[in-house]
Amino acid sequence: MPDFECQLKKYRQFKNITQEQLALQVGVRRETIMRLEKAQYNPSLKLAVDISRAVDAPIEEIFIFPEEQ
Amino acid sequence: MKNYSMKKTSMKKFAEKVFSAKKRTVIAAGLVCLILLLLSSWYAVNFNDARLVVPMDFSEYTFTVKDLPMTCSVTLICLYIFYLIALILWTAVRNQKYVRETQTTRKISPRFGFLGFFGFMGFMGFWTYSQNKSISPFMFFMFFGFFGFFYEGKLSNTFMDERFKENALKAQVTSLKISFSIIIAAFMILSRGALFGNLEYNLLAAMVVVFLALALALFLYEYLLYRYDHDEPLEKED
Repeated sequence: MPDFECQLKKYRQFKNITQEQLALQVGVRRETIMRLEKAQYNPSLKLAVDISRAVDAPIEEIFIFPEEQ
Repeated sequence: MKNYSMKKTSMKKFAEKVFSAKKRTVIAAGLVCLILLLLSSWYAVNFNDARLVVPMDFSEYTFTVKDLPMTCSVTLICLYIFYLIALILWTAVRNQKYVRETQTTRKISPRFGFLGFFGFMGFMGFWTYSQNKSISPFMFFMFFGFFGFFYEGKLSNTFMDERFKENALKAQVTSLKISFSIIIAAFMILSRGALFGNLEYNLLAAMVVVFLALALALFLYEYLLYRYDHDEPLEKED
Protein backbone atom coordinates (compact mmCIF):
# COMPACT_ATOMS: atom_id res chain seq x y z
CA MET A 1 0.00 0.00 0.00
CA PRO A 2 1.58 3.36 -1.00
CA ASP A 3 2.16 5.62 2.02
CA PHE A 4 1.06 9.01 0.83
CA GLU A 5 -1.91 11.26 1.14
CA CYS A 6 -3.93 12.06 -1.93
CA GLN A 7 -5.90 15.26 -2.24
CA LEU A 8 -7.15 14.50 -5.73
CA LYS A 9 -10.80 14.16 -4.71
CA LYS A 10 -10.77 17.66 -3.22
CA TYR A 11 -9.22 19.26 -6.32
CA ARG A 12 -11.41 17.26 -8.67
CA GLN A 13 -14.58 18.33 -6.87
CA PHE A 14 -13.28 21.89 -6.83
CA LYS A 15 -12.93 21.72 -10.64
CA ASN A 16 -16.40 20.15 -10.76
CA ILE A 17 -15.43 17.13 -12.85
CA THR A 18 -16.44 13.53 -12.32
CA GLN A 19 -14.08 10.58 -11.93
CA GLU A 20 -15.18 9.35 -15.36
CA GLN A 21 -14.39 12.70 -17.01
CA LEU A 22 -11.01 12.92 -15.34
CA ALA A 23 -10.23 9.32 -16.32
CA LEU A 24 -11.05 10.12 -19.94
CA GLN A 25 -8.94 13.26 -19.83
CA VAL A 26 -5.81 11.53 -18.52
CA GLY A 27 -6.32 8.25 -20.42
CA VAL A 28 -6.97 5.78 -17.61
CA ARG A 29 -9.95 3.86 -16.29
CA ARG A 30 -12.31 5.16 -13.62
CA GLU A 31 -11.14 2.41 -11.28
CA THR A 32 -7.63 3.84 -11.40
CA ILE A 33 -8.87 7.32 -10.43
CA MET A 34 -10.93 5.78 -7.63
CA ARG A 35 -7.89 3.97 -6.23
CA LEU A 36 -5.74 7.06 -6.64
CA GLU A 37 -8.17 9.10 -4.57
CA LYS A 38 -7.98 6.47 -1.84
CA ALA A 39 -4.17 6.56 -2.06
CA GLN A 40 -4.19 2.88 -2.92
CA TYR A 41 -2.26 3.25 -6.13
CA ASN A 42 1.08 4.91 -6.76
CA PRO A 43 0.84 6.57 -10.19
CA SER A 44 3.61 6.97 -12.73
CA LEU A 45 5.20 10.39 -13.05
CA LYS A 46 3.44 10.93 -16.37
CA LEU A 47 0.01 10.16 -14.90
CA ALA A 48 0.69 12.37 -11.89
CA VAL A 49 1.68 15.26 -14.18
CA ASP A 50 -1.36 14.70 -16.41
CA ILE A 51 -3.64 14.72 -13.36
CA SER A 52 -2.09 17.86 -11.94
CA ARG A 53 -2.62 19.59 -15.30
CA ALA A 54 -6.20 18.32 -15.53
CA VAL A 55 -7.18 19.65 -12.11
CA ASP A 56 -4.97 22.76 -12.31
CA ALA A 57 -3.13 22.04 -9.10
CA PRO A 58 0.56 21.53 -8.28
CA ILE A 59 1.58 17.89 -8.18
CA GLU A 60 3.04 18.15 -4.66
CA GLU A 61 -0.27 19.41 -3.33
CA ILE A 62 -2.23 16.55 -4.83
CA PHE A 63 0.14 13.79 -3.73
CA ILE A 64 1.57 14.50 -0.30
CA PHE A 65 4.41 12.26 0.80
CA PRO A 66 5.41 12.55 4.47
CA GLU A 67 8.96 13.79 4.91
CA GLU A 68 11.39 11.13 6.11
CA GLN A 69 12.94 11.66 9.53
CA MET B 1 -21.62 13.40 -31.57
CA LYS B 2 -24.99 11.62 -31.66
CA ASN B 3 -24.61 11.03 -35.40
CA TYR B 4 -21.14 9.61 -34.85
CA SER B 5 -22.33 7.14 -32.18
CA MET B 6 -25.29 6.11 -34.35
CA LYS B 7 -22.93 5.56 -37.29
CA LYS B 8 -20.63 3.54 -35.03
CA THR B 9 -23.53 1.36 -33.80
CA SER B 10 -24.80 0.70 -37.32
CA MET B 11 -21.24 -0.15 -38.43
CA LYS B 12 -20.96 -2.56 -35.50
CA LYS B 13 -24.29 -4.17 -36.40
CA PHE B 14 -23.18 -4.48 -40.03
CA ALA B 15 -19.86 -6.08 -38.97
CA GLU B 16 -21.73 -8.53 -36.70
CA LYS B 17 -24.09 -9.39 -39.57
CA VAL B 18 -21.17 -10.00 -41.96
CA PHE B 19 -19.38 -12.08 -39.32
CA SER B 20 -22.40 -14.29 -38.59
CA ALA B 21 -23.03 -14.72 -42.35
CA LYS B 22 -19.39 -15.72 -42.80
CA LYS B 23 -19.63 -18.14 -39.86
CA ARG B 24 -22.68 -19.76 -41.40
CA THR B 25 -20.88 -20.08 -44.78
CA VAL B 26 -17.83 -21.69 -43.15
CA ILE B 27 -19.98 -24.21 -41.23
CA ALA B 28 -22.05 -24.98 -44.35
CA ALA B 29 -18.87 -25.51 -46.43
CA GLY B 30 -17.56 -27.91 -43.77
CA LEU B 31 -20.81 -29.87 -43.77
CA VAL B 32 -20.80 -30.08 -47.60
CA CYS B 33 -17.20 -31.37 -47.54
CA LEU B 34 -18.14 -33.97 -44.91
CA ILE B 35 -21.22 -35.14 -46.83
CA LEU B 36 -19.18 -35.42 -50.05
CA LEU B 37 -16.55 -37.47 -48.21
CA LEU B 38 -19.22 -39.80 -46.80
CA LEU B 39 -20.85 -40.20 -50.22
CA SER B 40 -17.55 -40.87 -51.98
CA SER B 41 -16.59 -43.37 -49.25
CA TRP B 42 -19.93 -45.13 -49.72
CA TYR B 43 -19.33 -45.18 -53.52
CA ALA B 44 -15.77 -46.50 -53.08
CA VAL B 45 -16.91 -49.25 -50.69
CA ASN B 46 -19.79 -50.38 -52.91
CA PHE B 47 -18.42 -49.88 -56.42
CA ASN B 48 -14.61 -49.55 -56.19
CA ASP B 49 -13.47 -52.40 -53.87
CA ALA B 50 -13.07 -49.84 -51.02
CA ARG B 51 -10.01 -48.35 -52.74
CA LEU B 52 -8.62 -45.30 -50.89
CA VAL B 53 -10.90 -46.15 -47.96
CA VAL B 54 -9.04 -49.12 -46.53
CA PRO B 55 -5.24 -48.77 -46.02
CA MET B 56 -3.42 -49.58 -49.29
CA ASP B 57 0.09 -49.73 -50.70
CA PHE B 58 0.56 -46.46 -52.59
CA SER B 59 3.82 -47.60 -54.23
CA GLU B 60 1.72 -49.72 -56.61
CA TYR B 61 -1.12 -47.24 -56.96
CA THR B 62 -2.47 -46.56 -60.44
CA PHE B 63 -5.22 -44.03 -61.02
CA THR B 64 -8.63 -45.21 -62.28
CA VAL B 65 -11.66 -43.07 -63.10
CA LYS B 66 -13.57 -44.69 -60.23
CA ASP B 67 -11.07 -43.15 -57.79
CA LEU B 68 -12.13 -39.69 -58.89
CA PRO B 69 -14.97 -39.08 -56.32
CA MET B 70 -12.78 -40.13 -53.39
CA THR B 71 -9.78 -38.11 -54.66
CA CYS B 72 -11.93 -35.01 -55.14
CA SER B 73 -13.60 -35.22 -51.72
CA VAL B 74 -10.29 -35.79 -49.91
CA THR B 75 -8.78 -32.83 -51.80
CA LEU B 76 -11.78 -30.71 -50.80
CA ILE B 77 -11.44 -31.70 -47.14
CA CYS B 78 -7.71 -30.86 -47.23
CA LEU B 79 -8.45 -27.46 -48.81
CA TYR B 80 -11.12 -26.82 -46.19
CA ILE B 81 -8.69 -27.63 -43.37
CA PHE B 82 -6.07 -25.31 -44.92
CA TYR B 83 -8.73 -22.60 -45.16
CA LEU B 84 -9.67 -23.09 -41.49
CA ILE B 85 -6.01 -22.82 -40.43
CA ALA B 86 -5.60 -19.64 -42.52
CA LEU B 87 -8.81 -18.23 -40.99
CA ILE B 88 -7.61 -18.92 -37.43
CA LEU B 89 -4.22 -17.32 -38.14
CA TRP B 90 -5.86 -14.31 -39.80
CA THR B 91 -8.24 -13.87 -36.84
CA ALA B 92 -5.31 -14.06 -34.40
CA VAL B 93 -3.37 -11.41 -36.37
CA ARG B 94 -6.47 -9.19 -36.57
CA ASN B 95 -7.05 -9.55 -32.81
CA GLN B 96 -3.44 -8.62 -32.06
CA LYS B 97 -3.76 -5.56 -34.27
CA TYR B 98 -6.99 -4.61 -32.50
CA VAL B 99 -5.32 -4.95 -29.08
CA ARG B 100 -2.36 -2.85 -30.24
CA GLU B 101 -4.44 -0.11 -31.78
CA THR B 102 -7.16 0.23 -29.15
CA GLN B 103 -5.06 -0.66 -26.09
CA THR B 104 -7.88 -2.91 -24.91
CA THR B 105 -7.74 -6.58 -24.00
CA ARG B 106 -8.79 -9.07 -26.64
CA LYS B 107 -12.45 -9.90 -27.02
CA ILE B 108 -13.02 -13.39 -25.75
CA SER B 109 -15.99 -15.26 -24.35
CA PRO B 110 -15.71 -16.72 -20.81
CA ARG B 111 -17.31 -19.86 -22.27
CA PHE B 112 -13.90 -20.78 -23.70
CA GLY B 113 -13.09 -21.67 -20.09
CA PHE B 114 -14.96 -24.93 -20.61
CA LEU B 115 -11.98 -26.03 -22.74
CA GLY B 116 -10.29 -26.58 -19.40
CA PHE B 117 -12.33 -29.76 -18.93
CA PHE B 118 -10.21 -31.33 -21.68
CA GLY B 119 -7.49 -31.36 -19.04
CA PHE B 120 -9.15 -34.44 -17.53
CA MET B 121 -8.20 -36.29 -20.72
CA GLY B 122 -4.65 -36.18 -19.37
CA PHE B 123 -5.62 -38.99 -16.96
CA MET B 124 -5.98 -41.20 -20.06
CA GLY B 125 -2.18 -41.21 -20.12
CA PHE B 126 -2.08 -43.60 -17.14
CA TRP B 127 -4.23 -46.05 -19.06
CA THR B 128 -2.42 -45.70 -22.42
CA TYR B 129 0.93 -46.05 -20.64
CA SER B 130 -0.17 -49.32 -19.07
CA GLN B 131 -1.58 -50.55 -22.40
CA ASN B 132 1.03 -49.57 -25.00
CA LYS B 133 3.53 -47.32 -23.21
CA SER B 134 2.09 -44.28 -24.96
CA ILE B 135 2.53 -41.13 -22.87
CA SER B 136 1.32 -38.42 -25.23
CA PRO B 137 -2.16 -38.04 -23.57
CA PHE B 138 -0.40 -36.56 -20.51
CA MET B 139 -0.03 -33.44 -22.63
CA PHE B 140 -3.76 -32.82 -22.14
CA PHE B 141 -3.04 -31.83 -18.53
CA MET B 142 -1.98 -28.47 -19.95
CA PHE B 143 -5.60 -27.87 -20.98
CA PHE B 144 -6.41 -27.27 -17.29
CA GLY B 145 -4.81 -23.88 -17.88
CA PHE B 146 -7.67 -22.97 -20.20
CA PHE B 147 -9.93 -22.61 -17.15
CA GLY B 148 -8.26 -19.20 -17.07
CA PHE B 149 -10.44 -18.17 -20.02
CA PHE B 150 -13.29 -17.78 -17.48
CA TYR B 151 -11.38 -14.86 -16.00
CA GLU B 152 -9.90 -13.57 -19.25
CA GLY B 153 -13.43 -13.44 -20.65
CA LYS B 154 -14.53 -11.34 -17.69
CA LEU B 155 -11.75 -8.87 -18.47
CA SER B 156 -12.52 -8.98 -22.20
CA ASN B 157 -12.36 -5.65 -24.06
CA THR B 158 -11.00 -3.79 -21.02
CA PHE B 159 -8.95 -0.66 -21.55
CA MET B 160 -5.34 -1.38 -20.53
CA ASP B 161 -4.20 1.66 -18.60
CA GLU B 162 -0.98 1.82 -16.61
CA ARG B 163 -2.54 0.24 -13.51
CA PHE B 164 -3.86 -2.68 -15.56
CA LYS B 165 -0.43 -3.22 -17.16
CA GLU B 166 1.22 -3.08 -13.74
CA ASN B 167 -1.27 -5.65 -12.42
CA ALA B 168 -0.65 -7.86 -15.45
CA LEU B 169 3.09 -7.84 -14.79
CA LYS B 170 2.52 -8.58 -11.10
CA ALA B 171 0.19 -11.45 -11.94
CA GLN B 172 2.63 -12.86 -14.48
CA VAL B 173 5.57 -12.77 -12.08
CA THR B 174 3.56 -14.34 -9.25
CA SER B 175 2.13 -17.12 -11.41
CA LEU B 176 5.54 -17.97 -12.91
CA LYS B 177 7.17 -17.89 -9.48
CA ILE B 178 4.61 -20.32 -8.05
CA SER B 179 4.77 -22.73 -10.98
CA PHE B 180 8.59 -22.71 -11.09
CA SER B 181 8.69 -23.31 -7.33
CA ILE B 182 6.45 -26.34 -7.79
CA ILE B 183 8.65 -27.67 -10.60
CA ILE B 184 11.83 -27.17 -8.59
CA ALA B 185 10.33 -28.78 -5.46
CA ALA B 186 9.04 -31.75 -7.47
CA PHE B 187 12.38 -32.23 -9.23
CA MET B 188 14.22 -32.08 -5.91
CA ILE B 189 11.99 -34.81 -4.52
CA LEU B 190 12.14 -36.90 -7.70
CA SER B 191 15.92 -36.63 -7.95
CA ARG B 192 16.27 -38.40 -4.61
CA GLY B 193 15.71 -41.78 -6.20
CA ALA B 194 13.57 -44.12 -8.21
CA LEU B 195 9.82 -43.77 -7.67
CA PHE B 196 8.25 -47.13 -6.63
CA GLY B 197 11.62 -48.67 -7.54
CA ASN B 198 11.25 -47.71 -11.19
CA LEU B 199 13.25 -44.91 -12.81
CA GLU B 200 10.77 -44.69 -15.68
CA TYR B 201 8.06 -43.63 -13.23
CA ASN B 202 10.32 -40.74 -12.22
CA LEU B 203 10.35 -39.49 -15.78
CA LEU B 204 6.57 -39.82 -16.04
CA ALA B 205 6.02 -38.01 -12.74
CA ALA B 206 8.39 -35.23 -13.84
CA MET B 207 6.51 -34.84 -17.11
CA VAL B 208 3.12 -34.74 -15.40
CA VAL B 209 4.39 -32.17 -12.88
CA VAL B 210 5.75 -29.95 -15.68
CA PHE B 211 2.47 -30.05 -17.62
CA LEU B 212 0.40 -29.37 -14.49
CA ALA B 213 2.71 -26.54 -13.44
CA LEU B 214 2.43 -24.96 -16.89
CA ALA B 215 -1.36 -25.25 -16.71
CA LEU B 216 -1.26 -23.66 -13.26
CA ALA B 217 0.86 -20.78 -14.59
CA LEU B 218 -1.63 -20.18 -17.42
CA PHE B 219 -4.61 -20.26 -15.07
CA LEU B 220 -3.04 -18.31 -12.22
CA TYR B 221 -2.03 -15.45 -14.50
CA GLU B 222 -5.62 -14.82 -15.58
CA TYR B 223 -7.05 -15.46 -12.12
CA LEU B 224 -4.61 -13.16 -10.32
CA LEU B 225 -4.99 -10.42 -12.91
CA TYR B 226 -8.76 -10.55 -12.38
CA ARG B 227 -8.34 -10.53 -8.61
CA TYR B 228 -5.91 -7.59 -8.66
CA ASP B 229 -8.20 -5.67 -10.97
CA HIS B 230 -11.35 -6.42 -8.98
CA ASP B 231 -9.96 -6.43 -5.44
CA GLU B 232 -12.57 -3.86 -4.52
CA PRO B 233 -16.00 -3.20 -6.03
CA LEU B 234 -16.34 -0.04 -8.05
CA GLU B 235 -17.94 2.69 -5.98
CA LYS B 236 -20.80 4.78 -7.23
CA GLU B 237 -19.74 8.09 -8.77
CA ASP B 238 -20.13 10.97 -6.33
